[in-house]
Amino acid sequence: MKNKQYKLDIIPGIVIALFSIGYMALIPSIKTFTGLGATPLTNHFVPYLWGGSLLVLGLWITARGFRKRKKYLEEGGTIVKTPLKDILMEKREVVASFISLTVYVGLMGLVGFAPMTALYVFVQIMILTPREKWKKIVVPAIITAVISGAALFYIFRYLLNVLLPVGILSVFGL
Amino acid sequence: MILQGLMEVLQPMTILLVAIGTAVGIIFGSIPGLTATMAIVMFLPVTYSMSASEGISMLMALYIGGISGGLISAILLNIPGTPSSVATCFDGKPMADKGEAGKALGTGVVFSFLGTVVGIGLLVVLSPVLCDFALKFQAYEYCALAVFSLSMVIALTGHDMPKGLVSAVLGALLATVGLAPIDSKPRFTFGLYQLNNGFALVVLLIGLFAIAEVMAYAESVRKNQNFTIRGNVKLKGVGFTFKEFIGQLRNGIVSALIGVGIGILPGIGGGVSCMISYTVSKNTSKRRELYGTGIMDGVVASEAANNGTIGGAMIPLLALGIPGDAATAMLLGGLQIHNVAPGPLIYEKNGVVVYAIFFAMVLAAIFMMLFMLLGMRFFISVLKIPKNFLLPVVVVLCAIGAIGNANMLFDTYCMVAFGLMSYLMVKSKIPTVPMILGFILGPTFEQNLRRVSQLASSDPFWNHPIFCVLIIATVFVVIFSTRANLKDAKRAQEAELAEMKAAKQAGDDE
Repeated sequence: MKNKQYKLDIIPGIVIALFSIGYMALIPSIKTFTGLGATPLTNHFVPYLWGGSLLVLGLWITARGFRKRKKYLEEGGTIVKTPLKDILMEKREVVASFISLTVYVGLMGLVGFAPMTALYVFVQIMILTPREKWKKIVVPAIITAVISGAALFYIFRYLLNVLLPVGILSVFGL
Repeated sequence: MILQGLMEVLQPMTILLVAIGTAVGIIFGSIPGLTATMAIVMFLPVTYSMSASEGISMLMALYIGGISGGLISAILLNIPGTPSSVATCFDGKPMADKGEAGKALGTGVVFSFLGTVVGIGLLVVLSPVLCDFALKFQAYEYCALAVFSLSMVIALTGHDMPKGLVSAVLGALLATVGLAPIDSKPRFTFGLYQLNNGFALVVLLIGLFAIAEVMAYAESVRKNQNFTIRGNVKLKGVGFTFKEFIGQLRNGIVSALIGVGIGILPGIGGGVSCMISYTVSKNTSKRRELYGTGIMDGVVASEAANNGTIGGAMIPLLALGIPGDAATAMLLGGLQIHNVAPGPLIYEKNGVVVYAIFFAMVLAAIFMMLFMLLGMRFFISVLKIPKNFLLPVVVVLCAIGAIGNANMLFDTYCMVAFGLMSYLMVKSKIPTVPMILGFILGPTFEQNLRRVSQLASSDPFWNHPIFCVLIIATVFVVIFSTRANLKDAKRAQEAELAEMKAAKQAGDDE
């Protein structure tokens, strides 16, 4: 058994169990309808059903993970702890992609679709390209970014009537 | 209505859109990592301003092209372009290695067409029958149908049943956000008006499939991904003789029927159908020992089945509003955007659109065969498009799709959150497809369960034979699937232990 496999049960299991507890803690604050025509099962019942099921499943997976861990240790396995920093470094392209995507959607309303798209496309192309190839692709990346930002904005806003945010381009009367 | 549907599809604009959709679908299907679902996600915002017939015809063409295109990279690169083409690699690549790439591609294309046509034929015949049958459904029956469909998750999840169930329950749980059914009281909205209508299916699907795909590619940036593309493919005619075609016809039709049957079951897509069909074809063949060495039979079984799944998956989608796989879940989102409500009344309320869908599917199948036979060189060259340039533009189109769904920027935030959730789920080995089923079936289950709770005293369940049959079927599915899954889990555990012991032994020897 690989060291990682029990972690794939323990960590998600705990997260799922905690999430379900948090979810169920919110249920009592939901207002129920008690007037004429009210159903015997209120709008609390199904959330409790799903929340409870998720809690059971989360605990099941966690327990399974701990059983695997115990077996692994009994068989003479050793636990190697990988610091979070190392994991994030190993997955730096994924982390950078999520950050750039979050910044993109977060600032789109304020800055506008076209400029943010151009910026995002450029940054994402660079993230998805190995560092040694950056010099070679920087110009095509800029061209792709600018064209896609402008073309998609024009096509979807003016030809297909999707309400994309104009942002700072509003100073040009767009 | 049939004639009206045909006229809608025969409009020059619709024909053009179907042709474009098919070509783009084939391109998406052929590039490993891009799927039919992503093609539909990407083109959903393009259809917002179209009529329902035009928009849905284009989405159907993308679906058919996307499923069919997967065979190109499966045969030429030994990498399935889509999960539906996994089994095509088994004999397609050995055929290409033997210098029969053209024959393998031709076989794949023609039998993909055959599979699609068989699927459409059964869709046309079975969906009205199912609609008529579903007209008898009331709260009891819908509640039981939701439970039965959810129980299929157990059958789907293989040896890791709890994780499959987690995914389905999480989907159902996400569907509780927004106004509650029946009494319309807000739940889990945290005072945000944007959440009053709950999360949009389209936004969830974009996050689950498109964003997660980009992240999967981001993970592999530093890995060496060089592969050689066979450029010297000669494709004369269809690549095989008429005699060979007749010899494979039975295999093709049986495989297509398997594909349709599996497509009808909720949550099981072309990926499973091609594997099952390949296994059935192998086990029933007189030359089973040749499977995997590069024979037509394997390509025929896989490609006829995965395309048969298209028609199969559309049957429960149109008649009951239950998607057969991720791509049809996306199509459900497309139908909702164009105000077409799938269900037993779809023929009465949107009959023209339904017939337009049927004709568009036939047209897309014809375009698919023509484009792939005549333009194979172009589609092979498309494999060279750098994904580092393509994927960021796909993400932008997904963001437009999310915004355009309800003209709210808020949906793009949800898209990113669902993308992160999907990435973490994939990393934790939690499947994402059951989540869609949970998300779609959860509200149906809740609404009808609460109605049933109201009716139970005056109208007991034994007055509803369909309900009883569905509940008994659910019990059987749960028992047999659980037994099969536990056996799988035991086998997987034994394999793990054997692997560990072997590794320890090797360490001791050193």
